[in-house]
Amino acid sequence: MAKKSVWSDNRFWQRSAAWITGFASILLIWLTFDTIPQITMGNDADLQSGVTKRVPGPTVINYKITYEMDKKRGHEIPVIGEKEKFFGRDDWSEEEAAALLHLGKLGSQAKNCMNCHTLLGNGAYYAPDLTKSWLDPAWQANGSMQAMTGKSTKEEAMAEFLQHPSQYPTHARMMPNLGITAEEAKGLVAFLKHMSSIDTNGFPRNFGKIQGAVNGK
Amino acid sequence: MFEPFVDVVPSFFGWLNQGPLTLTIFLHTFIVLPMIWIYKQEKARLEQEG
Repeated sequence: MAKKSVWSDNRFWQRSAAWITGFASILLIWLTFDTIPQITMGNDADLQSGVTKRVPGPTVINYKITYEMDKKRGHEIPVIGEKEKFFGRDDWSEEEAAALLHLGKLGSQAKNCMNCHTLLGNGAYYAPDLTKSWLDPAWQANGSMQAMTGKSTKEEAMAEFLQHPSQYPTHARMMPNLGITAEEAKGLVAFLKHMSSIDTNGFPRNFGKIQGAVNGK
Repeated sequence: MFEPFVDVVPSFFGWLNQGPLTLTIFLHTFIVLPMIWIYKQEKARLEQEG
């Protein structure tokens, strides 16, 4: 009788498949629980005591956010600096800031931003990524977008643009008017500001260095 | 080859995933080694049956 090969033996493949499936299931369950502390939102006390969280608390909208190269990590990270006025206030309470962010989040879902844009890398590739849009120099003082809207602060310029996007020629793929109200625009800008403060391990790579990656020019 | 761990929140997977292919090599090793063991067991069983 010819010697049977292990490779053509059903039991070997069955046992291997069972091992791989079992191992992968345990690994994925572990990975899920391992991710939770990484994505848990911080709070106001963390911000005040300078505790670094990957996802800072909602009151981060009271602070200036910059994007700075971290030599040790080899990419840029959002740095939360001194207090900065957001729509004329730098004393948004935790509840107020959370409510504003919630409004912005619901707004981003209702207006389906992801149908064209990417948020934290998720979404469509038609319009620019919004992860770090708050940090885009075009919205800062002397930036082209701020100048175009005629506003004097970043948040007001962004809110103005969001309410009347079709008035401002930005890109060959112009943003359509989505009927965003002033209050919704405020929430959306808060949502974007908070998103820019999330430590995304340097995503998007080389943000601010690539012409056209951010503001489509 | 080994660099200091600089992630914001320490994690076993973050620690494993610091270099090119480190996570992949680790996981493949963990998947393939028991398969070698399964192979040897099955071979012994087939020989016994034969």
